[in-house]
Amino acid sequence: MVRALADRAFLPTKSVLEQVGDMMILTGKTIWSALRPPYPYGGEFVNQFLFALRLCWLPLLISTLAISYGAPGLQAGNFLVLFGALDRLGGFFVLTSIREFGPSVTAIILAGVAGTAITADLGARKIREELDALQVLGVDPVKNLVVPRFLALMIVTALFDIYAIIFGIVGGMLATMSFGAPLGPFFSTLLTNASVTDLWGSVAKTTIYGAIIAIVACYKGMTASGGAEGVGRSVNQGVVITFLGIFAFNYVFTQTLLATHPEISIIK
Amino acid sequence: MTWLTVPRDWIASFGEIAKFCGRVIALVWSGRVFVFFGEALRQAGILILGLQCGIEGAYFSRSVGAPANAGVFSAWCDLREIIPYAFGYMMAAKVGTGLVAEIGAMRISDEIDALEVMGISSMTFLCATRLLAAWMVLPFVYIAAIGAGFLASYIAVVQQIGEVSSGGFFLIFWMFQNPPDLLYSLIKGMAMATLIVLVGAYYGYTASGGPVGVGTATAKSMVLNVVGVHVVGMLGTQVFWGANPRAPIGG
Repeated sequence: MVRALADRAFLPTKSVLEQVGDMMILTGKTIWSALRPPYPYGGEFVNQFLFALRLCWLPLLISTLAISYGAPGLQAGNFLVLFGALDRLGGFFVLTSIREFGPSVTAIILAGVAGTAITADLGARKIREELDALQVLGVDPVKNLVVPRFLALMIVTALFDIYAIIFGIVGGMLATMSFGAPLGPFFSTLLTNASVTDLWGSVAKTTIYGAIIAIVACYKGMTASGGAEGVGRSVNQGVVITFLGIFAFNYVFTQTLLATHPEISIIK
Repeated sequence: MTWLTVPRDWIASFGEIAKFCGRVIALVWSGRVFVFFGEALRQAGILILGLQCGIEGAYFSRSVGAPANAGVFSAWCDLREIIPYAFGYMMAAKVGTGLVAEIGAMRISDEIDALEVMGISSMTFLCATRLLAAWMVLPFVYIAAIGAGFLASYIAVVQQIGEVSSGGFFLIFWMFQNPPDLLYSLIKGMAMATLIVLVGAYYGYTASGGPVGVGTATAKSMVLNVVGVHVVGMLGTQVFWGANPRAPIGG
C-alpha cells in the first residue's frame, strides 16, 4: 500500500529528473563533439539554417507585429494617453520589444515551428530505424545530426531576435499612429532609453533559447518510440518542455541582467 | 520559390480548415453531440489533468519573469495580455498537439474508418465532443490560471522586489480592474482555445502517411496555432480595450 503510494508519487518525478539529466548529458556531448575535429557537419548546418529561416520568417513577422501592436502598443499607449505622455511609449518599447517580448516571441515561434519540425524529422528517422542504421555504418548521430541543428538554431534564433525587435518597433509605430500622434517623439524616447546592454542581453538570451530548443527537440526526436502515436506524442512533450524551459530561463536571466546592470532599468 | 511555401500552404489549407470548423461547430450546435455526452465528460477530465500542471507552472515562471513594478502593471499586464497569451501557448503546446497525436493515431490505424463502419459519426464522436469538452472545462481552468498569475505577480512585486507594501499593491491592483475586464479576458482565452482545438482536430483528422505523418501533422498544427494565438490576442485587445482604456482615472 505504502509502496504503491510512494511509487505513484515518486515515479513521475524520477522520470522527469532522468529526462532532464539525459538532456544535460546530450548538451555536453553536443558541445564536445562540436568542438572536437573532424567537422563533417558543414552541409547539414547550412541546410538546417535555411530550413529554419524558410519556415519561420512569415509566422514570426505576423506574430511580432500583432503582439507588439496589441499588448505594449495599445494597452500601454492607453495608459500613457491618460497622462498626456504618449511620447514615452518609445521608452516603454525598449523594455517590451527589446528586453521581453522580442526574445520571448522569437523563442516561442522557433520552438513551435522549427523545434517541432526537428522533433518530427528525427522522430521519423528513429521510428524507421534510420538512426540505428547510421550507427551501424559508423556515423555518429550526435555529431552529424544534433550538432548542426544545435549550432543552426542558436544562430538563427539570435538573428531572428533582431528581426523580431525591428517588427516589434514597427508594431509600436502602428499603435502610435493609431492614437494620431507623431512618430518623432516615439523614436526620440526609444533611442534615449535604448542601451547596448539591452541589445546584447537580448541577443545572448535568444542564443541560449536556441540551444534549449535544439537540445529538447533533438532529444525528444531521438528517443521517440511507441508505434503510431509515438512521434506525435514526442512532438507534444517536446514543445511543452521547451516552453517551460524557456519561461524558467527567462525568469533567471531577466533577474540577473536587471540586478547586475541597474543602469538599464532607469527611465531617462 | 521555396521561400513562399509557408504562405501558399496556409492559403491552400485555410479553406479546408474553415469548412472543417464549420462542420464541427454545426455538430455541437445541432445537439447531436449530446448523444456522446459521456465521451465529452471523459475528454474534460483529461483536459483538466493535463492542463492544470503545465499551465500553472508556465504562469508562475512567466508572470514572475515579467519585470512587474506596481499593481497597475500587474493588473493590466496579467489580466489583459500575458495570461491569455500564456494560456494560448500552453494550450497549443499541450492540448493542440496532443489532439493531433491522438486523433492522428486513430486515423492512421484505421480506427476512424472502423467507427464509420459501426455507424457512429466519427466527426461528432471525435471532434465535436472535444470542442464541447473544451468549452465546458476551459473557462474554469482559465480562471484558475488567472489566480496563479495574480499570485505570481504578488510574490514578485511585494515579496521579492519589496518596493510596495501588500496593502498598497492590492489597492492599486483591484482599482485598475473590474468584472468586465475579466469577462473580456475570458472571451479572448476561449477564442484562442476554440481555434486551437479546431486546428488540432483538423490536422489529426486529416493525418496520413503512417507514424511519420502523425509527427509531421503535429508539427504543422503548431505553426498555425502560434500564429493564430497572436492574431486572436491582437484582435481581442483592439476590440475590447482599443478605444477605451477602462481605467479609474482621467476622462
